[in-house]
Amino acid sequence: MILPILWMLTVALKGPSAVFEVPPRLLPHEFHFRNFVDGPKVIHFPRLLLNSVVITGLSVIGGVMTSMMAGYALARLRFPGRKVWFYVFVGSMLLPPVVGIIPLFQLFKDIGWYDTWLPLIVPAFLGGNPLFIFLARQYFLSIPHSIDEAAKVDGAGHVRIFVSVMLPITKPAWITMSILAFQMSWNDYLNPLIYLYSSQKWPLSVGMASFVSQFAGQTPDWNLYMATNLLFMLPPLAVFFVAQRYFIQGLSALGTVNQR
Amino acid sequence: MTAAPHQETRTAAPPVDPPPDRGLPGRLGRPWRRRRKRSSDTLAAYVFLAPALIGFTAFVVYPLFRSAYYALTSYNGLSDPKFIGLDNFRRMFTTDPSFWPSVRATLLLVVLYVPLSLAIGLALAVFCNQRMRGVSLLRTLCYLPVVLPVVATITLWKFVFNPQVGLANQVLNWLHLPTSEWLSSEDSAIPSIVIVMLWSVGSTMIIFLAALQAVPTELYEAARLDGAGPRTVFFRITLPLISPIMMLQVVLQMVTALQAFNQPKILSPDGQGGPGFSTRTLMLSIYNNGFPKLGQVSQFGYASAQVWVLFLVIVVVIAATARFSSIWTYSDHVS
Amino acid sequence: MKRWIRLAGALLSAGGLLATAACGGSSGKQSDGKATVTLMTWESAATNKAIDQALTGFHDPNITVKRVDTPNGNYSDKLAALTQAKKLPDLFWCGNDTEQQYTSQGLLTDWASRLSGAADFGASSFVSSTMKNWKTADGKIGGVPSLMNTYGIWYDVDAFKAAGITVPAAGWTWDQMFDAAAKLHAKGAKYGLVADALTSTDGPFSLSTYALSAGGAPFADSVHQPTKTTIDATYTEGVRKVVAGIKSGAVAPPGYDISNQQALFAAGQIPMLWSGQWLAAGFLTDKPKIKYGFAPLPQVTKPATLYDAVGICTPSYTQNADATFKVLKYLDSTVWTKVLPDSPVAAPAYLSAQSAYFGALDKAGLTTVASTVKAGLSTPTTIGVRFTTQWASQSNDLITAYWPDILNGKKPLSDLRTMTDKINDVIKSNG
Repeated sequence: MILPILWMLTVALKGPSAVFEVPPRLLPHEFHFRNFVDGPKVIHFPRLLLNSVVITGLSVIGGVMTSMMAGYALARLRFPGRKVWFYVFVGSMLLPPVVGIIPLFQLFKDIGWYDTWLPLIVPAFLGGNPLFIFLARQYFLSIPHSIDEAAKVDGAGHVRIFVSVMLPITKPAWITMSILAFQMSWNDYLNPLIYLYSSQKWPLSVGMASFVSQFAGQTPDWNLYMATNLLFMLPPLAVFFVAQRYFIQGLSALGTVNQR
Repeated sequence: MTAAPHQETRTAAPPVDPPPDRGLPGRLGRPWRRRRKRSSDTLAAYVFLAPALIGFTAFVVYPLFRSAYYALTSYNGLSDPKFIGLDNFRRMFTTDPSFWPSVRATLLLVVLYVPLSLAIGLALAVFCNQRMRGVSLLRTLCYLPVVLPVVATITLWKFVFNPQVGLANQVLNWLHLPTSEWLSSEDSAIPSIVIVMLWSVGSTMIIFLAALQAVPTELYEAARLDGAGPRTVFFRITLPLISPIMMLQVVLQMVTALQAFNQPKILSPDGQGGPGFSTRTLMLSIYNNGFPKLGQVSQFGYASAQVWVLFLVIVVVIAATARFSSIWTYSDHVS
Repeated sequence: MKRWIRLAGALLSAGGLLATAACGGSSGKQSDGKATVTLMTWESAATNKAIDQALTGFHDPNITVKRVDTPNGNYSDKLAALTQAKKLPDLFWCGNDTEQQYTSQGLLTDWASRLSGAADFGASSFVSSTMKNWKTADGKIGGVPSLMNTYGIWYDVDAFKAAGITVPAAGWTWDQMFDAAAKLHAKGAKYGLVADALTSTDGPFSLSTYALSAGGAPFADSVHQPTKTTIDATYTEGVRKVVAGIKSGAVAPPGYDISNQQALFAAGQIPMLWSGQWLAAGFLTDKPKIKYGFAPLPQVTKPATLYDAVGICTPSYTQNADATFKVLKYLDSTVWTKVLPDSPVAAPAYLSAQSAYFGALDKAGLTTVASTVKAGLSTPTTIGVRFTTQWASQSNDLITAYWPDILNGKKPLSDLRTMTDKINDVIKSNG
């Protein structure tokens, strides 16, 4: 399991021509630490990193917040249509994502969002991921109703119950969602590729792809690519390791509570 | 966290087949509900749901209808769509030489991947659920492939499977086992892709693990006191208790397999689902037609028709699974 | 409600952030008569840098050239998105196929009249076969060819020596190629010949060189406006030889993964590789340990080869046709003379820029590459590498359904007829 990282590391440390030794050598015979400086330079790493951080940060906040809101409504409020909406949201998980690409591209183009970050961020603020809504609802169901009853007796409204009672006790759920949302947005490639015209607005995922050429005699600089790639995947790895212990707790709601 | 005692049966049916109230017992009798003022709750609920509802309309309903329209047109993205009725579907089912092979590839992937992913995921979860040193490290390692950027790791597998210099054949040689052509042969291509997909089994494992950790330990202790062996405990206690999550897993893994795209796209020798049509899954076929390689014209209309077929296949398969599984999914008597 | 307000605030601030960011867009014509010409390539970062460098030599006080970055790996997706959004840059790298399709849809600026006039940058300044191929049926020229590919056989001199065979040279035959492949295979090479061009969906076109060379008919009567596909007896004979080669293990079968073929060739693992002249540029930087050469495609009686050229296109909605044409001229005539000496990828289609390419090859000592490319460019009998038509992907699917199985011996040679019949149906149904 750890092998790919090790392999990436060795390639990242090799010289440009040593990459293509056949059979491949496990350890580089000379170490090129400069790859970690030269690689990022090729794609203007700092600027793209900032772009990625902004896009991913906003998508995570939007996706998690609106999913939590929807989950709260579906799990803890009684209203007509509750069950229907739940099934509708979850059913939309089955929809192949390619359905949206062409119509949405035209939609965003028509409202003037082409070459902006909005198509990458706004969908997250509109309940972006049905899996998150499902997860949030399941987690909310596992919380005893006496808690909001008590808050209600104290005269709290739904907004207050949601913000000051529910959010703190559902920490594992939204941390789990944040990890997943972070990974998705950070690694998303196709959407930024087709929506962003100007390279100064690119996130890192698109920048990474400029290393690999499919045309005429250009051997990609695999060593620079892998070195930069290691830096690229550091943030999601770090996020995962830091928040790991909430992760399983957050997911546990998926199955233990039945679909009440 | 412990499993909440629940009073309904067969509710583990996945949240999928949209229908009705079947199997969901009313909760009218609950006292806390009656005290609530209904209208204020309804208003609040829709306020909370508003973003998701707007998003659903804009990003699910709208594209769905739009693509339904495209499915009835000939549309290349360069000139305006031209209405052609059901011609796209006729072409798909009769003349397109790639359609039935791609259905076959997709189903083969499902049949191979889903059971293996569930079995291995569960086995790893059971192993990681033990109180042993190093288990948390193993758990992290298992999950690692899920966190890594997909494209980079799949590209790595392409190197591993290279029949001439790849690691896979070197290892087989070293063990004096027959080598394989892996991704280069029509027969072994899909199994090779399944291996790559199983490498990310950590995502299956982690959900099982979460379910296992929610099983009250008293149950295990009680069973052990009654003299039950590990096998009995697993089949009589663990498996029944996690059956609701098993259902969810079946659905999630099926969706994963039916929508498999990155793996065949990157791993197939021609990037189009080769050799032949052996790894051209429906999803990849849709992509090939909608976003063809440089120099070829998009067939958005035809691709949209394929999207609808795939969508219906998914719904039917999942609904059938749900119906079938309601027979064996655990209905609570244990607690 | 407070949530919502905060949410809206976040959105607004995000929007504001985006609005202030520089606006990319395509070219603009400022009021003072100055123009910005945008340019998009599919080259790697290194080549793009060289192009930028070369473009600094373009002096026109009223024209600014701006290159738009794009990851070259998914150039086709990017192109599709830009086409949809009507945001194509003033100049973008394109294949002959894209040029033909887009021109027929009226998406490109027609340069025909400009090219017919100028003496230093007119149709006659280019290799004549390219100009002929870039012209559409109704005489439009939607783009100007820039670089031309030559196909041939890369060979490993050491492997040939070890097997006691003379190395390939101009005039060698298909039989000699299959013989050599068999001997090299017997000497321990996994495959004597790797020829993806023969086994992939381009295969029927590549193998047409066999039929053409023997005086037979090619697979398709034209790649731009085909009326029918045919398989004659000569062609079938060629297919039979490939099938035999694959069966004996001398030739790599369909499905062989070519993504590492360049590295494997350089490492001495592939003694003969059917590919293009562009590998030379990679070899010059990677410096393989083996001694290698490049021979023209084999023949039966007379030389026949494949035609393939890429170029630069301009959308019909360009703001500054005049300025764009000036930059285009500079790109084709001058930029290549500065880029190719460091990275000799392909011969320029613009005749007087060719010396830069061949000079670089000579300087690097790649004499076989230079002579093979020259021979390829002057071969009169050619066929395009693939269909450039709107329905090409449909015929590709039909080729995929039959061609690999026929080559593998899983389907009889008579199925070649079934394949062409079905492709002819597609041609007919698309008028």
